[in-house]
Amino acid sequence: MQDHDDAPVESTTDRLVEFAHALREHGLPVGTDDVLAFCEAAATLGPRDPEDLFWAGRSTLVHRRDHLPVYDEVFRRFFLHLRPPKGPEPVPEQPVPQGTTGVLNVPDNEPGEQTDDEQPLLLGLQASGVEVNRTKRFAECTDAELAAVRRTINRIRLQPPMRRTRRMRTDPTGSRLDVRRMTRNEMRVGDRSPRLPFMDRKQRARPLVLLLDVSGSMSDHSRNLLQFAYSMRRAAQKVEVFCFGTRLTRITKLLDRRHPDAAMRRAAEEVNDWDGGTRIGAALDEFVRTWGRRGISRGAIVVICSDGLDRGNPKQLADAIERLERLSHRIIWVNPLAADTPDGIPNTLAMAIASPHVDRVESAHDLDSLEAFAAGLAHVG
Amino acid sequence: MSDTTDVAYSGGVPELQDELRDIGYLADRGLATATLLALRLERPILLEGEVGVGKTELAKCLARLEGRELIRLQCYEGIDTHQAIYEWDYARQLLQVRALSEHDLSDATTVGGLYSEEFLLERPLLKAIRAGERAVLLIDEIDRADDEFEAFLLELLSDFQVTVPEVGTIQATGRPIVVLTSNRTRELHDALKRRCLYHWIGYPTVAEEIDIVKVRAPQASEHLAGQVVRAVHRLRELDLIKPPGVAETLDWVDALAILDQTDLDADAARDTLGSVIKDRDDLEVVDRDLDHVLGG
Repeated sequence: MQDHDDAPVESTTDRLVEFAHALREHGLPVGTDDVLAFCEAAATLGPRDPEDLFWAGRSTLVHRRDHLPVYDEVFRRFFLHLRPPKGPEPVPEQPVPQGTTGVLNVPDNEPGEQTDDEQPLLLGLQASGVEVNRTKRFAECTDAELAAVRRTINRIRLQPPMRRTRRMRTDPTGSRLDVRRMTRNEMRVGDRSPRLPFMDRKQRARPLVLLLDVSGSMSDHSRNLLQFAYSMRRAAQKVEVFCFGTRLTRITKLLDRRHPDAAMRRAAEEVNDWDGGTRIGAALDEFVRTWGRRGISRGAIVVICSDGLDRGNPKQLADAIERLERLSHRIIWVNPLAADTPDGIPNTLAMAIASPHVDRVESAHDLDSLEAFAAGLAHVG
Repeated sequence: MSDTTDVAYSGGVPELQDELRDIGYLADRGLATATLLALRLERPILLEGEVGVGKTELAKCLARLEGRELIRLQCYEGIDTHQAIYEWDYARQLLQVRALSEHDLSDATTVGGLYSEEFLLERPLLKAIRAGERAVLLIDEIDRADDEFEAFLLELLSDFQVTVPEVGTIQATGRPIVVLTSNRTRELHDALKRRCLYHWIGYPTVAEEIDIVKVRAPQASEHLAGQVVRAVHRLRELDLIKPPGVAETLDWVDALAILDQTDLDADAARDTLGSVIKDRDDLEVVDRDLDHVLGG
């Protein structure tokens, strides 16, 4: 590398580093090694042409496609001093202070009854004064009872459904001969062990995809499943969570926070259609197109939580669920109304359309049936 | 690492663009810059983008441009070191052991000989390390491999050396050019991304794509190229499950050329639609909207 001897070069470097800091402030994870690579890249290209600088930074400081718009925006402001064009601001990701008490905004079923007391619920910390009735419907529970229910859900030990991978491990009861090991044993002079080494395929947890209806009466049930998803994700399982009402929102990332309260609060902020209408067909269609196509549900158990009271287009739902069936391993539909029907399939149009493509319909309307649902997950095959 | 000017590409971004163009690859400014940086800084380049936009093709063209050998590792689920780096030829080793013991020849030297080059099966990564700066290593569809393999690659990409316990450590003499591609069926680990330069390849504009067709399928008339490209762009605007990539555009042009079509009319389009649209549901959608797609 050639020597840079004078001050202007140093100030250029300063400027580049400042730019990297600006990116960091906008939530991009820019590491020191990235900054080094950026400076090296800029030095290679010669920082005269802003376009070179633009592309140099874009290939060294950004590692994901989602961050590209933020980068473009920060670059425009930082180097070209341009005002942002009309449109949504790139949202800076601010760390949420952890360990604070959250005001869990549980929507009420009867809007008239809503008492506006912003009582902070210390979920998971408060000693429970509420007894959990295991067969009381979630829909009939008070806020305090629901909080207790969620604490219980947190403790549900889940045995994730497994699948066989293509990787092998040593297994004396396995079905395949481990030739590599056999050769090694054979070559060890004097080792004439009569045992043949066998191996078998490794097992791995199947990914789980939750599609939660958060509209109207479903929001409580969905919150319970969200709690459930949160615990599973903590257990290092592959879980993807989406919420839908009038539109589909991915909230998986939000569940990575350390506190369930914070995670739920963030999720609630993100999904601004809690208590809106439901368009299951449109939501599933969007899921299939944007996420399913990329393989997020491949080999996964997809759990749809909705009462199937849909106001969307039935044809769209039929197409989407059919496609979803082909893109995933199993589909389980959690529908609290299923508890009231003799054959377990609620009599709504959406359910009638979906049921041929759904492997199981569960109710999960109270703690007992939710536990049964969790236990059953391991055996969906 | 400062004395690599004789190895690394010496031109600038426009020169690289021109040279790539000469061998039939049209790179926009962004891609050319990222590629140039990969060559100069000797870092792997990670290409993400829609299906069929020329991610793999770039590696092939770089190999031609630099006169290097292309070594390709196609990833799949469960790929492990034996398929990616090296494997001992067990069958032959076993036979050798049998032969040695029958003639009572098994002493330290002959047994040691079982682990000689003769019995070592070279797989793509070992091959690339041995070839060093004479190779372009293409690690294709890395998102299909599982996390375990990704973690392993991480190690390989930082040191460019592998250790075969029985033989010793093999170190690359110079760095191969490394191109990784991903279709984003899953998110790659950040640590791996950090090792690489990143570039997202989007769909080209109409003008760019016509240029691509002219370069890659010179037999097609300008008129036909324009028609096909505009039709493909309208297809991408439709709500399709699998929007056609540039590869599909070229396939379509080829298909029309084979049928001696000089004009993309409704009949010709319907007959050859299978080369652009690869999904039954999509075919239905397109069939309904064919007039619009053809610009009617």
